[in-house]
Amino acid sequence: MTAVLPRRRLAALPATPRYIAGRIGQALLALFGVVTIVFFALRLSGDPARLLVPEGATAADIARVRDRLGLNDSLWHQYTTFLGDAVHGNLGYSYVQNRPATDLLAERLPYTANLAVAALVLSLLFGVTVGTVTALKRGRWQERVLMPIVLAGQAMPAFWTGLLLVLVFSVGLRWLPSTGYDGPLSLLLPSVTLAALSAAAIARVTRGAMLEQLAQDYVRTARAKGAGTWRLVTRHLARNTAIPVLTVAALELANLLGGAVVTEVIFAWPGLGQLTVQSVAARDFPVVQAIVLLASAVYVVVNLATDLLYGVIDRRVAAGGGTA
Amino acid sequence: MRAKRLRAAVAAALAVAVPTLAACGIHPATAERDPGTLVIDTANYPSTLDPGKQYDSDTYAVYRNIFDQLLRRDPRTHALVPWIATSWRQTDATTWRFAIRPGVRFSDGSPLTAADAAFSVNRILDKKFASQQFANFSMISRATADGGDLVIHTAQPAPTLLTYLTTLSVVPERYVRKVGDEKFAARPIGSGAYVFVSATAGSQVELRANPLWWHGRPSVRAAVFRAVPNVASRVVDLQSRKADLATGLTPDAADQIKRDPRLAVLSTPTERIAYLAFNTIKGGPANDPRVRRAVAAAIDYRALIENLQRGYARPINSLLTPLAFGYDTKLPAAGYDPAAARRLVAEAGAKGATVVMATSPSFNPQIVQAIQADLAAVGLKVQIRSTDQPTYLKKVQDPGHDWGSIRFGRWSCSCLDADGVIYPLFHTGGIWSSYTSPSFDRLVEQARRVIDPKRRGALYDQAFQVLARDLPGLGLFQDYAIYGANARVSWTPDAQESFFLDTMKVR
Repeated sequence: MTAVLPRRRLAALPATPRYIAGRIGQALLALFGVVTIVFFALRLSGDPARLLVPEGATAADIARVRDRLGLNDSLWHQYTTFLGDAVHGNLGYSYVQNRPATDLLAERLPYTANLAVAALVLSLLFGVTVGTVTALKRGRWQERVLMPIVLAGQAMPAFWTGLLLVLVFSVGLRWLPSTGYDGPLSLLLPSVTLAALSAAAIARVTRGAMLEQLAQDYVRTARAKGAGTWRLVTRHLARNTAIPVLTVAALELANLLGGAVVTEVIFAWPGLGQLTVQSVAARDFPVVQAIVLLASAVYVVVNLATDLLYGVIDRRVAAGGGTA
Repeated sequence: MRAKRLRAAVAAALAVAVPTLAACGIHPATAERDPGTLVIDTANYPSTLDPGKQYDSDTYAVYRNIFDQLLRRDPRTHALVPWIATSWRQTDATTWRFAIRPGVRFSDGSPLTAADAAFSVNRILDKKFASQQFANFSMISRATADGGDLVIHTAQPAPTLLTYLTTLSVVPERYVRKVGDEKFAARPIGSGAYVFVSATAGSQVELRANPLWWHGRPSVRAAVFRAVPNVASRVVDLQSRKADLATGLTPDAADQIKRDPRLAVLSTPTERIAYLAFNTIKGGPANDPRVRRAVAAAIDYRALIENLQRGYARPINSLLTPLAFGYDTKLPAAGYDPAAARRLVAEAGAKGATVVMATSPSFNPQIVQAIQADLAAVGLKVQIRSTDQPTYLKKVQDPGHDWGSIRFGRWSCSCLDADGVIYPLFHTGGIWSSYTSPSFDRLVEQARRVIDPKRRGALYDQAFQVLARDLPGLGLFQDYAIYGANARVSWTPDAQESFFLDTMKVR
């Protein structure tokens, strides 16, 4: 970026249109690459027609299904047709459900988004609190109690945490529904399961960033001027530790929005994760392609948004933002 | 002072959180259901609610309750019984006439006619409609309505026509034509015991009893089918009373359910078999029939049934279950005889030879490993080559026959007939067949064109003799369907795994 703008104005205007356009261009290129790879990799991986016919079907039955699905056309023809349709927002029809892939995604996305946001909020609450407390109380009993919990959360796989929570809260106590989506209460167990994984990452990053800041001179100065712990954390440390925490949180969000496969399967959550598993298993090419496209778009958008947010939080980043 | 503020904030947070959590406890999440309502966990969400399209057990389980089928089977004897067709007869070698039950109405009030039945058949035959069930009805050349009768013409005499007509759901022609296939699948209307209420894509389908149903008033007044893909989750749903009934359970899950005194395991032998098929064309050591016989003698069938299937299986003497037409009761079962197996391996000069076993995660890996150990004990080295199901199918069904020596699989034609099993598995050139025998081909081809059950049965007896001699495949056991249910439900599942809600009772 050419630095013709005066430095002060640049700081107030963190993202110039040109910068954003450049990033969007990069993003589109990345999406195109991902979709192309997935398109060809899928077609090397098995024949959906064989999975669609009844057990006693003949080679002719399979050929007929392939023909109908357009799988007998040349790979290049299939690819160009797919790209042409995709540009017009048509991502094809599900082989299994005979419905537009975009419709299937639209039905599932709200469930996944719901779960992702709930899990992110929980993991931020827990992760930032634990990270801050363990940094401030380094070497004290608070750290010795909290760190093992964080480690356990990260070490336990979702299929185990999930079932454990269900056994305690659904089978044992009968407080919460075991699976499925009916009302906000059923959001609790799956989002805690998911949050257990991301919270650990956020806690560790928060703690690290906090410790780094606590060693800075300004902290000593603030303390000397009489700032208490609460004020120190909220006024001074929060802003300075926000960038690494935000980075991790954004990556977690992008991850979660792509569909939490294991958690969704355990909790019979009708989101994108389940759809992904089923579509891959059935080699439902159009749906898999659409999911991959969506998931990578989410990644790209979240990353872009994070970069832009850096500028809002820390203007020094915005000043040099052109190379980000 | 500041520390106090922190403490106050924590206290405030707790003050909000604790009552909220306590409130969750006051309202039990598994609230009492209305009497007559049944909540059912299945592994998959139905792929469609259009009965002309997809066909798999979880899809069947839902839509066959919304629609009536042309025929049904008696759940105990498995004999064909009238349903929408009150009677049927063959008017010549290739023509069948079915009298359609008068007075049956679809749930929108319109009458069900022979024209609707003919439309339901022709729709599946229509290439543009691209039904996945086409292969099951491809023997039909056309269906017409003649007064109150449905007339079906077949290209050849078709002995398996009737068995497949038990899976034919009758759809309302007028409604389907009016709203189109896509809308019909989204809001199906049928004449069955239940009417469609609502669906949450990927999650659940709700049905309620059809007040207009011609066959009486079922005990189950409403049903919710929930898609719960994970077996362990289906079990906890039963334990936590989230679900009343769960399908597709494994023997391990059944053991878990048995430990809960308020739950019961419902199970029944089905027409599904677990089997081994050999590559007799490019199978390396398996090209030698002595090696195949050695494999048959090396397997400890009882251990498979008792330890791995936990009793949810029965021994069989061939690749068919006693439920199916064509089962020969006189055929001796393959027995466990490791000494004889070792002898046969030595005779064939195959001692220490590597046998490649193709499988996929869809098939229980414990069984595959048990077989591997059994074969190792008689001197055959088994190399397990596991790929995911689509890759497995691609390899096994490739005309190059280059997939290994042995494969493990499960098979059910949902037709209770030898034709649906041994023809596709072993007929020369079939996608599943890595075997060729002109005499076997002739017998099963002939059996396809003969209506007379006696003559047909004799042909299959001969066909099974050929298979017993050449051993291109091996039946391991007859599989069970395993369901879990709570005390509210009383139901006897049937061998066809038909999931008719009207045959269940619920408190």
